[in-house]
Amino acid sequence: MSALSLILGFLRAILVLVLVAVAGFPIYWMATTAFSDPGQLYASGQVPWPQPQYFGALVAELEGLPVGRWMLNTLFVATGTTVVSLLLGSLAGYALSRFRFHGRGVVGFLLFMTQVVPEALILVPLYAMFVALGLLNNLLGLVLANAAFSLPVATFIVKGAIDAIPYEIEESALIDNCPRIGVLTMIVLPLIAPSLAAAAVIAFFAGWNEYLFASTFLMNRTLWPASVGLASFIGQYETPLSAVMGTALLFSLPAITFFLVIQRRIVSGLTSGAVKG
Amino acid sequence: MPELVLDTVAKTFGDTQVIRSLSATVEDGEFLVLLGPSGCGKSTLLRMIAGLTEITAGEIRFDGKRANDWSPRERDVAFVFQSYALYPHMTVRGNIAFPLVMDAFRPWHHLPLVNGWMRRRRMKDPAIAARTDAIARQLELDPLIDRRPAGLSGGQRQRVALARALIRDPSIYLLDEPLSNLDARLRMQMRAEISSLHHKVGKTFVYVTHDQVEAMTMATRIIVLDKGEVQQIGTPDEIYHAPANTFVARFVGSPSMNLLTVDGEGAQLRISPSLSFAHGEAAPRAGRLVFGIRPEKLELRPPGEGPLPAEVVVVESLGAEIVVGCRLQAGGTRDHLIDHDLVFVRRPGNERPALGSPCSLSFAAGDVVWFDAVTGLRLKP
Amino acid sequence: MAAKTTMRTSALGARAAGYLFIVPPVIYLGVFMFWPLARQMWMSLTNTTLARPNDGVFVGLANYARLLETPAFYASLRITVVYASLAVLLGVTLGVVSALAINRPFRGRAVVRGILLFGWAVPNVAAALIWLWMFNERSGVFNKMLLGMGFSRLRWLTSIDWSLPSILIVTVWQVAPFVMLVTLAALQSVPEEVREAARVDGADPLNVFRNVTWPHILPSVQLAALLVAVWSIRRFDIIYLLTGGGPLGSTSTLVVKIRQTAFEAHELGIASAYGAVGLLLALLVAGIHNLVDRRRMRWVAER
Repeated sequence: MSALSLILGFLRAILVLVLVAVAGFPIYWMATTAFSDPGQLYASGQVPWPQPQYFGALVAELEGLPVGRWMLNTLFVATGTTVVSLLLGSLAGYALSRFRFHGRGVVGFLLFMTQVVPEALILVPLYAMFVALGLLNNLLGLVLANAAFSLPVATFIVKGAIDAIPYEIEESALIDNCPRIGVLTMIVLPLIAPSLAAAAVIAFFAGWNEYLFASTFLMNRTLWPASVGLASFIGQYETPLSAVMGTALLFSLPAITFFLVIQRRIVSGLTSGAVKG
Repeated sequence: MPELVLDTVAKTFGDTQVIRSLSATVEDGEFLVLLGPSGCGKSTLLRMIAGLTEITAGEIRFDGKRANDWSPRERDVAFVFQSYALYPHMTVRGNIAFPLVMDAFRPWHHLPLVNGWMRRRRMKDPAIAARTDAIARQLELDPLIDRRPAGLSGGQRQRVALARALIRDPSIYLLDEPLSNLDARLRMQMRAEISSLHHKVGKTFVYVTHDQVEAMTMATRIIVLDKGEVQQIGTPDEIYHAPANTFVARFVGSPSMNLLTVDGEGAQLRISPSLSFAHGEAAPRAGRLVFGIRPEKLELRPPGEGPLPAEVVVVESLGAEIVVGCRLQAGGTRDHLIDHDLVFVRRPGNERPALGSPCSLSFAAGDVVWFDAVTGLRLKP
Repeated sequence: MAAKTTMRTSALGARAAGYLFIVPPVIYLGVFMFWPLARQMWMSLTNTTLARPNDGVFVGLANYARLLETPAFYASLRITVVYASLAVLLGVTLGVVSALAINRPFRGRAVVRGILLFGWAVPNVAAALIWLWMFNERSGVFNKMLLGMGFSRLRWLTSIDWSLPSILIVTVWQVAPFVMLVTLAALQSVPEEVREAARVDGADPLNVFRNVTWPHILPSVQLAALLVAVWSIRRFDIIYLLTGGGPLGSTSTLVVKIRQTAFEAHELGIASAYGAVGLLLALLVAGIHNLVDRRRMRWVAER
């Protein structure tokens, strides 16, 4: 091994350590703050590591907050967003990948457009529409608004995955007496399951994390998802900071877990065995 | 029982005409091979028979009934794809049983959950399970029955594809270059297996290939296609010994038939101003013709003994037989080599003539096949 | 070889069935995305206010004319451009560097990779909360560290000089992991044979990178850069929660301005005009990307 590559390897190790420290610190600090004596935080100074003995105190503080309620609302919104965007996204992705119809180009462009539209830009008209439809202050309305943004993403993912499946497999199913819709539900969708899972996680956490629509469309504290609930802590000092960080941690953990898990699942060559390349 | 008729069938994609007005009849129980170079439209034709590609013009009839708009399932065909097109997410058993499971499919099975439950139940159905096992055993797939396609070798995938075709007991088997992804040894073995399969099931097989060896060994009848048009329909023997035109003569046989453009003057044939040779009988007619002869019908003789003077240029030994490539020579001198394709001679044994040595070629007049020089069509003797 | 089946040659893709699949999603997007968008665009040509949202009168381009006379608009445009460009520059650099650093296998790579993804995986609101606390002027950990090293406190989020850089720190923490993932995927697909061929041809590691690896991952990096740019133009949550656009409008991007003008100044017309400019900016970025992409495709094809 040459001296150059040894030095490069050493520099690389240092670089990795620095990157890990910088990227991981905020989450470490979130946990540290959550597991600490709330009284100490502002006054004397923070102990720079999590103290498990305050776990009980944290749980007690959280029980005083509507955290469970918020989480349930979040769960509903996230699930709804996933279901709507995956259902419609599968249809659109399949159509764009497999069918020739007038307006394919237009649909493609519209889908692309949705990716550059800021949520804030359609906030007011959506608000007006929801007032008219009675969807204001309603979790369903929130689902519908969120899905409009994650549906195109699901479509792109599904289309890309289906593009990679050879036509022959679907034709084979037709010859094997499989009904037209069955080709989608029994052959194509199972084949792209890893991509569907990825699309589902993306849509789920788009719904999970969403703040702007939720804070605008929901007036009732009991309807708030956790994002709005958490944001309501900003600038108020009645809630102990350790409880705030505890809630933030609870809210973040599912997102972190799933995102770390699917980054692997996206890359999966299930088709590679069926058709010789 | 079913008779399949293609009546002036044509296919165009945009501006390109893939198949122009093709008519043929596929008889019950025959092994019909569609043979042609790549891009000749043979796969498209097969897909049109299967109902996978729409027909632009003409008519396709199953037992006299117009079938242009029938779906693949209504045609009762099985299709083996070049890529095998196995379902990667199903086991070998799932793949083989799929057609039977689908036959029992009802619209309400589309409901989520019901779908998976019903398909699992169907797979366990004694009749379906027994038939799946029997077919798997027949193709020696029983040890692999619970594996997925990704874990199989090329030959094993090929067998699964065949098993999936067999299980439905369809009236017609359509095979699209099923052996092209296999290595040479496996290809030969599968060739024999498919042939014996055809004998066993006694159904109609339509088989697409660009490999003339496959066509010659397996077919009961061959349709040679080029540029979307039928060149010849006939048994392998007819195709080989009486090619309908120069394209077929060149395409079938390895090495292919020797074709020489000659000017006939009675029994004297002129290849070039300086080279003419005597033919045993009179040419079918005077004027410009194409003289064709199979390599194995030519005989390599010492110089001067045969009517065609030549020089050995290439020698390929194939073990049991030998192929000699010769260049014709004018006037027996080396300076006047004639600019012409090599003439190939095939003969048994492994006695190798020396490269560059002079020789001559002889033939029997009855083995010569004549073609029109302009149209390329064979002239009837 | 048989011709490969394509959409053109297969009867699978019959036209009528296609509509059946595409119409429901298109209707959905029409109702919940494009109709509101169209209304908002129309609103930018009226003098609608929040108090009387349905009584707007058509005023032509008056809103845009007013925008062009407002210094706050230019400030906001400048902040958006600066913020987006720096987010792209820093985020992409850091992301690519991280990807290169962890591309080779080493012990604990999976863990390192997971930690590096934290910023991307944490929900915006949770991220805002923890950064607010770390940036806290009196008790935040950053100022504690500065004091410990003998410096004086910084007003991270409340001074005009530091608010935008602070926001950028958070933004880069969030987007760099995404760039890293995209780059890592691209790095995995660099053909090993070409790399080996270059090595056999006598290229040293840096040359291999410059001549083989980098050209191969460039399209992916460029795509990541585009996405980061568009997201930065669209980003609302983090900025709004950390600074609310302040202090003194020093972090007011166009998107933050939309909401401020609509819900604080109650002028929906002007707010819509701000939005239109933001949308235009995002489209411009996407357009430039497409242009570059097509240029490269043609360049590759011509060679």
